[in-house]
Amino acid sequence: MAIHDKKISRRKFLGLSTGALAGMMFSPGLSTLVRAGSGPVDPVPAGSRQFIASNCAMCVNKCGIIGEVVDGKLRKINPNKKHLKSRGMLCAKGNAGAALPYSSDRLKTPLLRTGERGEGKWKEISWDEAFKYVARNLADLKKEYKNRSTVAFASTEGFQEEFYYYLVNSFGSLNTVRHPTLCLSSNIQGWSSVFGVYPDADLKNAEFVIMLGSDRAQALITPDSVDFQRYKPKGQKLIVLDPRFTETGAKADRWYPVKPRTDQAFVLAMMHVIINENRYDKTFVETYTHGFEQLREMVQEYTPQWAEGKCEIPAAEIVKTAREFADHAPRSVIYPGRRSSFYTHEVYVRQTYAILAAICGCWDTKGGVVPKSSIDLDAHNIVFPFFMETRERMDKEATNLLKDVVPSAVQCPMIGTGLPTDSCAFLSEKDGSWISFREAVLNDNPYPVRGFVCFKQNPVQAVPNTAKTLEMLKKMEFICVIDQQMSDTAWYADIVLPHTTYLEGWDPAHSLSGIWPVVAFRQPMIEKMFNTKTMFEIAGGVIHEMLKIDSLWDDIDPADLTTFKKDIVEDVLDKPIQDFIRHQVKSHPGGWEQLLKEGFFTTEGGRPRYGYTRKPGFRFKTKTGRIEFFNERYKSAGLFPLPKYCEPEVLPEKGEYRFLVGRTAWNTHTSTQNNPYLWEIQKENALWIHTDEAGKMGIRSGDEVIVKSHIGAQRIKAYVTEKIRPDCLFYVNGWGRHSPWMSRVYKTGASEAEILDDVLDSISGSACMHETFVTVTKA
Amino acid sequence: MRQKRYTIVFDTQKCLNCKACTVACKFENEVPVGDDTYRIWVTEQPLQGRFPHLHQAFQPSQCQHCENAPCEHVCPTKATYRTPEGVVLVDYKKCILCKACMAACPYDARFVSEHHGAVEKCTLCAHRLEEGREPACVETCPTRVREFGDLNDPDSEVYRLLISRSHYRLKSEKNTRPRLYYLI
Amino acid sequence: MAIRIEKIRSLIRINRDVPALPFIIAGCLLLALGLVGVVRVFVQGHEAVYGVTRQVPWGLLIATYAYFVIISTGLAFIGGLGHAFGVASFAKMSRRIVMLAFVVLLAGFTQIGMELGHPFRLMYLLLLSPHFSAPIVWMGLFYTVELVILGLELIVIFYPSGVNHRLAAILGFLGLLVGVIATSNLGFVFGSLSARPFYHGIYFPVFLVISGIAGGAALLMVVYNIVYKLKIPETYKGAMKSLERLMGLSVGVMILLLVWKVLSSLYSQPGDAYAAVMTLIAGPLAPEFWIGEVLMALILPLGMLVANRGRSMAVSGIAGLVFLVGMFFTRFNFIVAGQLPPMRAGNEGAGVETVNGLMQYAPSTGEWMIFALGLGVFFFLYFMAERFLEMEIHSKSKHLILTTESTERHGKGRQMIPSSSCSSCSSWLK
Repeated sequence: MAIHDKKISRRKFLGLSTGALAGMMFSPGLSTLVRAGSGPVDPVPAGSRQFIASNCAMCVNKCGIIGEVVDGKLRKINPNKKHLKSRGMLCAKGNAGAALPYSSDRLKTPLLRTGERGEGKWKEISWDEAFKYVARNLADLKKEYKNRSTVAFASTEGFQEEFYYYLVNSFGSLNTVRHPTLCLSSNIQGWSSVFGVYPDADLKNAEFVIMLGSDRAQALITPDSVDFQRYKPKGQKLIVLDPRFTETGAKADRWYPVKPRTDQAFVLAMMHVIINENRYDKTFVETYTHGFEQLREMVQEYTPQWAEGKCEIPAAEIVKTAREFADHAPRSVIYPGRRSSFYTHEVYVRQTYAILAAICGCWDTKGGVVPKSSIDLDAHNIVFPFFMETRERMDKEATNLLKDVVPSAVQCPMIGTGLPTDSCAFLSEKDGSWISFREAVLNDNPYPVRGFVCFKQNPVQAVPNTAKTLEMLKKMEFICVIDQQMSDTAWYADIVLPHTTYLEGWDPAHSLSGIWPVVAFRQPMIEKMFNTKTMFEIAGGVIHEMLKIDSLWDDIDPADLTTFKKDIVEDVLDKPIQDFIRHQVKSHPGGWEQLLKEGFFTTEGGRPRYGYTRKPGFRFKTKTGRIEFFNERYKSAGLFPLPKYCEPEVLPEKGEYRFLVGRTAWNTHTSTQNNPYLWEIQKENALWIHTDEAGKMGIRSGDEVIVKSHIGAQRIKAYVTEKIRPDCLFYVNGWGRHSPWMSRVYKTGASEAEILDDVLDSISGSACMHETFVTVTKA
Repeated sequence: MRQKRYTIVFDTQKCLNCKACTVACKFENEVPVGDDTYRIWVTEQPLQGRFPHLHQAFQPSQCQHCENAPCEHVCPTKATYRTPEGVVLVDYKKCILCKACMAACPYDARFVSEHHGAVEKCTLCAHRLEEGREPACVETCPTRVREFGDLNDPDSEVYRLLISRSHYRLKSEKNTRPRLYYLI
Repeated sequence: MAIRIEKIRSLIRINRDVPALPFIIAGCLLLALGLVGVVRVFVQGHEAVYGVTRQVPWGLLIATYAYFVIISTGLAFIGGLGHAFGVASFAKMSRRIVMLAFVVLLAGFTQIGMELGHPFRLMYLLLLSPHFSAPIVWMGLFYTVELVILGLELIVIFYPSGVNHRLAAILGFLGLLVGVIATSNLGFVFGSLSARPFYHGIYFPVFLVISGIAGGAALLMVVYNIVYKLKIPETYKGAMKSLERLMGLSVGVMILLLVWKVLSSLYSQPGDAYAAVMTLIAGPLAPEFWIGEVLMALILPLGMLVANRGRSMAVSGIAGLVFLVGMFFTRFNFIVAGQLPPMRAGNEGAGVETVNGLMQYAPSTGEWMIFALGLGVFFFLYFMAERFLEMEIHSKSKHLILTTESTERHGKGRQMIPSSSCSSCSSWLK
C-alpha cells in the first residue's frame, strides 16, 4: 500500500485564538505522522477551530483548561499544560465537562412549580416573570416576618458565588450557610489554632509524608494529587492511615488500617516518642512556639503501647514512624488534607497534627507544611445598605440549641469541658453550620425562617439526615434554587432558575491561594445553548425587580439606597462583567490579556515563597502571636487548650458497623453522577464490606443488602472486599437520587445523606460523617 | 529523515486509577458512551495479600501497536495497517466488519464502532501527532503514567526510561512484539 | 431458440409424488421470519439486533455460516466422488447432490452476508485490496469459486440436451477439490488465531472437512427419505448404503478428532484452551456439548448406523437428521467456547464483564431470525426444485452415467461416456 508523507498545513488550524497551544504545537521530537493514501482515520476536525483557555468548574480545584471548539461546538477540553496549580493535567470530571452544555437533562429555562412540591409539575416562564416572582416573594417574606433573616441563603463555592452574595446582601439576610461545615471547617479550625492559618503541604519536596484519612489518589486536589506521585522526590516515603485500603493506601509504603476515630492516638504517641527521645526541633520550638512544656507534660501518658491499644497499630510501627518523621524533618509532612468532617473531636485531631508538624519544625520551609500565599486582586469598593429589619444569624442567637436539639453532638466524654454545648464555639460567620442551622430552622429558634434560596448546593443529598432537610424545606413558604441541573433540592423548589455552565459564560477572577498561587477566571468557549443566565445576570435581574418594590427599602437610610443604586447596580451589575474582571486585575499589568490568552496568571514567576512567617517580627494569627501548642483562645472558651485524647463515649454495639464516607476520582459530591461519561465509569454505588463479615452473613458481591442506621435505611448492592476494616462499612455518595431529571442515577443505588446521623462538631460547627453506626442485612 | 518509532511507556506505579485518560480518549476520538465502546481502559489488578497486608496495582492499557500485529495479519482487506512509525491504524472505509481482528487481538483492544461503520481502536491519537500534540491520554494524566515519544531518538524520555529501567510487554509469549512498554 | 426453450421446458414438471409442498410452505414461513430479521438489521443496525459483543465478536451467524457452507462442500465432495471418481452409486444422485450443494451454499452466504457489516465492500475489496496473508481472503476466494463451480455443474447436469459427462467430471473434481480447500481455509480462519489457544491449530480445518462429508451424507439420506417417503427405491439403496458408510466413517474420525482435541485441551490445564474446553465439559455450554454435540452428532448417529447396519433406510435417514442437528452444535460450541475465555481478565475497570472468569454469549432473537432466513432459503429453493424440476438421472448400467429421460425421449442425447477410474475408487464405498 502506498504510504506517503502528508505534511500538515499550519493553516489548517490557524483558527487558534490563543497562543496557549502554539508553543507546544510544533515541539521538537514530534513530527508529521504519515498516513495511508486512502481514507484518513480520525481526521483532524475540519471547520473553524479555536482553542480557548479557561478554568474548570467540575469540582473545587479550578484546573487550567483549554477548550477545542470546532464550528462553535466544544469538541474536547484539554488540560492547560502551563497551569501552575493543575500542573498541566485534567481529570475524568474535567474532561467530562465537555458534555455539560449539551446535556439533555440540563435546566434550559426558568421553571415555576405548578403542582405540589416534589410532584414534578413545572411551567416554563420567562426570566422577567422569574425575577418578578423572586423579588415579590422576598418582599412578602420581609413584610410578613419583619426580619430579613427569615430568608436563608445557601450556596457552595464557585467564582459566581461572589454575585450570589450581591443578592444576599442586597436583601440583607444574615442567614447564609455554605459548604465548609460539610467539608473542612474543623480542619481549618484545628490547624489555625496552632499556626493561625490553614496551610498546604509541599509534597513536591517532602521526603516523608503521613496521610491520615486523606485519599489524594481519588479525592483529587491540585496540585497535591499530582505532586505526591508525579513529582515526589526519589525515595519519598508515604505512610497512609485509613480504615479503607484506598488507592492512596495502594500507593503507600505502609498502609495502616487505623481503627476509626483513633488517628489522634497515633499522632499523640508519635509526639511522645519524638519529645522524649529529644528528636524535636529545639531551636524552632524555642523561637516560634508557645506552651511546649505543657505539651511535653500532656504527651507523657500517650505512650506507643497506649496508642496501640487505641488505634490497633503496633507500638513498634508507631515508634518507627515517629523516628522517621523526625529524622526527615523539616522535609516531613503530616498532611493537612481537606475534608475533615469525620468526628466530633475533629478540631482537636487536626490541632494534634499541626502540633506534630510544629515540634519538628516542618513549617514554612521546603518540603514541609507551608502557609498558603495568594495574589492580591483589586476589590470593588462597595458597601451594601444597612438594613434595620435584620436579626442576627440563627446559629448565633439561638439558645441552648445544641444541647436540646442536637443530642447526637455530644458523643465525647468531656462534655462541658472539651466541646461546647450551647452553640458552636468558632463558627465562620458567612459559612454557618449546616447541622445547627437546620436544627434552628426546624425549631424556629430563635425566630422563624420561611424562605430558602439555594445556589448550586444540594442539601437534600449533601447534608446528613435527608429526612430533616426535607422537613426543613416543608417549613419554607418560598424556595428558589439556582442550578445547572435539576438537583434533588431543586426538585422540591417553587422556582428553579437555570444557571449558565462555566463553559458558556464569564466568571470573575479569583486568587487561588496555595504554595503556588495563581489568579484564574473563566471566559466563554461557546455560545449559550439555552435560555440560562449566570449568577451575575440573575443577581442584577432580581435586584432590579426588588428596586421596583418600595417595601423592600423602607428600613434603610435613603442615602444608602442612592449609593446602592449607583455603586452596585449602575457601576457593577449594569455593566458588562468583563469590566468587573478588568477592574479586579488592574494592578497586574498585562494580567487581563494574560487571562484571555492563558486563563490564568501568576506573579514572581510562580515560585513558592518559603519562610516569610519565619522572619523576625512575624506575628502568627494566634492570641500570643506565636505558634501555639497551648491554645489561649480555647482556654478562654472553656475548651481543651491542649489536644487531649478524646475517648468516644458511644461505641458501635454488637452487629453494628461504623459507616465511612469517601470519594472517587470521577465524581464531585452529588453533582456529576448524571454526566454520561462519568456515569459509564460507575453506574451505581456499592457497599464495601469485609470478606469475613460478609461471609458470616452469607453476603456475596452483587447481593442486595439493606444498610440501616437509626436515621434511615438504604438498599444497595454489596461489594465484598478485603479493602476495608471488618468493623466498618462504606459506600460513596451520589446515588439514590430524588430528582427524576438526574435520569441516569434516579433511584439507583443508595444515598449517604439518608442514613447519616446528623452529628455535630460543636467547635467548628462541622458535620461529623463518620459517627454513624449501621447494621446490614441481606435484602 | 530518520524514521520515527512511536511508543508509549507506562509507569503504572504512578497510576491513581482516576480514569482521566479514558474520558479524555472518548472525547478526543469521539467514541460514544457505551460498555463495549472504549479504546483505552484502566484495570484494577487483583488485590494481593490478606487484610491488613494488601497490595494493588492499577494498569492502564490500550492497543499495544504490535510490530507483529495479529489484527493486521488477519484483516482480509488491508483495512488494518501499520504506518512506518509503527502505529497500527484502521482505514474505516476498507473495513468490512468481519471482526476477525477482534477475534485475533490478544489484548481485546478493538470494538465495533457504529459511528464509523468499522472496527476501531486506539490510534495513538494520530491526528494529534500530525499537529505535534501528544495523545490525549498521555497529556491529560495527572501523574504522567504514560510517556509518549520516539524510540529512535536517544534524547527522548521514552528512550531514556527504557534503557534505564527494567520493563516488560503484555503477553510477550504471543510474540506480537508490542510497541507499548510497561516499567517495573 | 424455440427448441432450446422446449428443452428447458422439458426439465420442468410438477412432481406430485414428492412431498415438497409442506417444506416449501415451511421455507416460506422461515423466509418471512428471516426477512423480519433482515429488516430489523437494516433499521436498528447489527449492533442492536445481534447478541455478539466486543469480547465475543463471532456468534451464531458465524456458526450457521460454517454449518451451511461445510455441508455444501461435503455434498460437493460426495458429488465429486460420483462425478470425477465415477462412484456410480453417487453419480445417480448427482442432480440432487449438486442442487443441494448449491442451495445450501447460498443459504450459507445469506448468513455471512448478514453477519458482515459491509458484505458488498468485501466483494470489491477482495479484488482491489486483497490481503493474501489473511485466511478470510482465501476462504472467501475459494467459496466464491466453489459457488461458480457448483453453478456450472448445475448447468451441466441439468443440461437439457444431456450431460456432458467429461465436463461434469472435471467440474465435480474441481468442486471436491475447491470445497475441501475452502472448508479447510474456513477452519484456518479459526486455526490461525494464536490469541485463542482453543482455536489455534489444525483441529478445526480437519474437523470441518470431515464433518462436512458426514453432513453432506446425512443430508442426502434425509432428503432421499423425504422424497421417497421413507421408501427408498432399490436403485438408490446402494448409494444409501455407501452414504451410511461414508457418514459412519466420518463420524468415527470426528470422534477421534474431538477426543484428542478435548484431551489435549484438558491435559495439564493449558491456559485458555483448558478454560474453553471446560465451558463445554462442565461450563455454560455443557448441555450443548453433551446433548447437542456428543450425543446428537456422534454417539446417537453412529450408534444408529452401526445397529442398523444398512437394514432400514429410514433409520439411516433419522440418523442423518439427528446428526444434522448435532452438527449445528459442533459448530456453535467450538466457535463460542473459543471466545469465552476473555483476552483480558474481568477485573474492575477492565470493561470486561465475566461470570466465573468467562465471557457470556447467547444468540439474540435477531440472530435466530437470520438463521431462519438461511434455513428458509434452503427449504424454499431446494423443495421448489424438487417440486418443479426433474431431479432423477436414470441409469442403465453401473459404470455409466446415462442420459436423462428427455434425451432418451428425443433420442439424440450426447454420447454416453464411461466414467474413468471408477472401479478403484468406488469399490471401498459400496
